[in-house]
Amino acid sequence: MQPIIRAFCASTLAVAASLSFADAPMDGPQNTRAGWHAAIQSGYDLLAEETTQLAEHASSYCTAPDEQLRAQLEQHWRDAFMAWQQVRFVDFGPVENNNLAWQFQFWPDPKNLVARKAGYLTNSDQPITADLIEQSGVAVQGFPMLEYLLFDEALSNSKNALPAPHSCALLTTVTRHIAENSKQLSDDWHSFKTPYLNTEAYQVSTLKSAMAALEILEEKRLAKPMGLRGNGKRNPYITDAWRSGTSALSVEATLRGLQQHFLPEFLKLLEQKGEAPLAQRIQRQFEAALDNFPGADRPMATLLSDDNAFRTLQGLYVDVSQLTTLFNDQAAVALGVVRGFNSSDGD
Amino acid sequence: MMDRRQLLKAALAGSAALSLGGCTLLPRKSGFNPELYSAAVGKPDGTFGVSAFDLSGQPLWVSPVATRCHSGCTRPVNNQLVFFERRPGWSFYVLDASTGKRLHHIDAAEGEHFVGHGVFSPDGRWLYATASRYEPGEGIIAVYDAEQNYQRVNTFELAGIGPHQITLHPDGETLAIALGGILTHPDYDRLKLNLDTMAPALILMNRRSGEIVGRLNPSHHQQSLRHLDVHPSGKVYVAYQHQGPRHEMPALLARMENNRLREIRFDDETQAGLANYIASVIAHPENDLVAAASPVGGTAVVFQGSTGKLLAKASIPDCSGVQALAGGDFLISSGQGKLVRIGAQQPAVDIAQLPLYWDHHLV
Repeated sequence: MQPIIRAFCASTLAVAASLSFADAPMDGPQNTRAGWHAAIQSGYDLLAEETTQLAEHASSYCTAPDEQLRAQLEQHWRDAFMAWQQVRFVDFGPVENNNLAWQFQFWPDPKNLVARKAGYLTNSDQPITADLIEQSGVAVQGFPMLEYLLFDEALSNSKNALPAPHSCALLTTVTRHIAENSKQLSDDWHSFKTPYLNTEAYQVSTLKSAMAALEILEEKRLAKPMGLRGNGKRNPYITDAWRSGTSALSVEATLRGLQQHFLPEFLKLLEQKGEAPLAQRIQRQFEAALDNFPGADRPMATLLSDDNAFRTLQGLYVDVSQLTTLFNDQAAVALGVVRGFNSSDGD
Repeated sequence: MMDRRQLLKAALAGSAALSLGGCTLLPRKSGFNPELYSAAVGKPDGTFGVSAFDLSGQPLWVSPVATRCHSGCTRPVNNQLVFFERRPGWSFYVLDASTGKRLHHIDAAEGEHFVGHGVFSPDGRWLYATASRYEPGEGIIAVYDAEQNYQRVNTFELAGIGPHQITLHPDGETLAIALGGILTHPDYDRLKLNLDTMAPALILMNRRSGEIVGRLNPSHHQQSLRHLDVHPSGKVYVAYQHQGPRHEMPALLARMENNRLREIRFDDETQAGLANYIASVIAHPENDLVAAASPVGGTAVVFQGSTGKLLAKASIPDCSGVQALAGGDFLISSGQGKLVRIGAQQPAVDIAQLPLYWDHHLV
């Protein structure tokens, strides 16, 4: 009975808080959004830089492949992918154009579309062109496709392993596609400043985006692969970035992105609402979660198979879970944010 | 461990239970059972069901379902309710309206999925369900024979993408279909694949031949025309979900007039409250009032159908379902378990709050 009472009380409180929020707008919401805009801009700019470098290195590697360039290329993929993880929480604004977020990272991929599409493209006689990538759908257009080409074990033992010409063509074309999208996103975010600052609804959009990101982190990127949901079995392949062994590192990057691009203005907002103790708890909880690294920066398969490592992952899960509760229950109520059963549905 | 009935009883007995102020009789609907409401629900334990409640807001039954449902329709004979799984819906359920007992569970045809809505012919024999052939992305109306255990008997082509709500015109012959225009595919979850080239429309179709007798487009191609209702006088109202940026605030409602869509836009504050997203629209059969609800904006509105004049507005977080109440008011349901009464004349009144999440539509 207890969880139901809790859910019920939380929703009742949310209603009350929402009504009072409607009567008393936050102090300086435009200032808050100005802060967020600048912070997210820096994240998008970094993504544009990293993806440009990735595209250049992909081209260099495919022109004259060697082990050193390959190692550098893999590191550039990691850097660019982590730059994306840091801004991945932003689910509104220009990143919605042309499904950019999905283009960067098609996930979850329960049908292994990335591998299927890669198999089709690398085995086909069709030349790999920018137009082909444009038409091939989101499973082809982002980091998971590059990850497949660079890190998939089966592929690396096949005739299509990099630097096979068709695979190299796919690699370089997709890296250019990502770099162009990143540049576009950075430019569009810059142009988005005026409507973002002038439209109050974006205040809640921003708050909800961080809350949704934490929920996805807790539930889909940690609890599910850890076997804490559903059938109870541990499964490293249902989280993201398992091929490159960077699932946990990408969790860290998402947390750091939230800490850098979202948290400062969020804490000020809570303080303005007389919630300084809650703001301090959230700040401390972020630090506690991030303290789990680098202990947790191993491949998810390792973290799930080794009991000691699993305990580290459990520690991280508990910290993220507490952080999510602080955000999505306490702070949401304090700020009058309602994340609904219907409002998040889309029909 | 409490069972469902104990749970509902406990919730009803608690301080959070109901204050049933004057919840009057329902208006007569086209079918039977005007004293029973039903809706898909989410339960606090994370499972899903279809629930029915009576005029006082008391739950009568909760019928468990495997996955989240969206909306449904009443069969005008045989005391049956049909509920469709949420898009992409792989099946629909036929339930006994008195007990919630499952009578049939019908799977979508190969290569098709349902999208959450359906409507019966006036004699209760034919069920018309909106559906999608997802590989080619073709919207269709799938026709089932309820007298033959819901066998699939026909398919009508919509020549368009993404049908959603369907209803029957009071002439008994014309289906009115909201065509959202958005291409999706089950491989890509609910990702919208064609926002630049959408072609939403209100489609009017002869229910016997499947012939399209009218196709009306909204003023902007990103006005996804998702929901609709028809007044007994034949006036058709439609509701949009705008797919452009949030800071654009175009009209979200329209009335069919002289074979075109006459759009209804409120003041900026109300439009902001509707958040470019309307989940339900209902034309009251007894008067000229129309109600609409936006869960994204947490706002419900009542307006005069003939003029589009805004008459009432209420802040109800996650509100979505709308139904007409006898006497001229509306009932609004929310994803937070609330039932709220709203009319043109007096402020919104909470009728009930249950430990359930009312899912989208009241049936």
